[in-house]
Amino acid sequence: MSFREKTAWGMGLVLILAGIWYFKRVVGLSEALGETAAPNIRFVIGYIVLVVLASILVNIMIASASGKDAEAPADERERAILDKAGHWSGYVLAIGAVAGLWHFSWLKDGNLLFHIVFGALMASQIAEYGFQIFLFRRGV
Amino acid sequence: MAKRPPIGNRIRELREQHGQMSQAALAEAIGVTRQTVIAIEQGRYSPSLESAFRISRVFGVGLEDVFSWLEPQDN
Repeated sequence: MSFREKTAWGMGLVLILAGIWYFKRVVGLSEALGETAAPNIRFVIGYIVLVVLASILVNIMIASASGKDAEAPADERERAILDKAGHWSGYVLAIGAVAGLWHFSWLKDGNLLFHIVFGALMASQIAEYGFQIFLFRRGV
Repeated sequence: MAKRPPIGNRIRELREQHGQMSQAALAEAIGVTRQTVIAIEQGRYSPSLESAFRISRVFGVGLEDVFSWLEPQDN
């Protein structure tokens, strides 16, 4: 497994776990309030800090286990994979944003719009790493 | 599965003819990762023209001695 594929696995896992952490809190707060919770800046900052710290830790661990592979720039195949995965993940974000707007047009719930768009942003990042893994394994 | 490009190659055979050159050594020589050499050998990735020339130069042969168009898939 290449250094970049290991990184994709690590980052995908970090983002999934951080996303679960974030939405468990949002859902818990919403249930307690009996309505969709307003965007909570503490949760958002907590999510960002969690992702940044875990990303640093995971990347250090993978890089230290990968030797000089970690220092090499992406080669032509890896660049093609990263480009294609980034392109595909854009569709995930777009679908999520449109879904959020569609919900908003019917329910007029701005809080839900925020959570759907933020969730779509998380999902698109997770999907990007998932697409990378798929393309690393199946070919580009 | 991603559609395989209709291009065959003799890289594995040429490596074996060149003193059992490893995939890692070939990768180092042409400036790509070992996984990319594996993908090229298995036909899962078509290298750029530059990399194709680099591979043929490593083995001291022409481009068409390394790569070939696979006619049956040319439909």
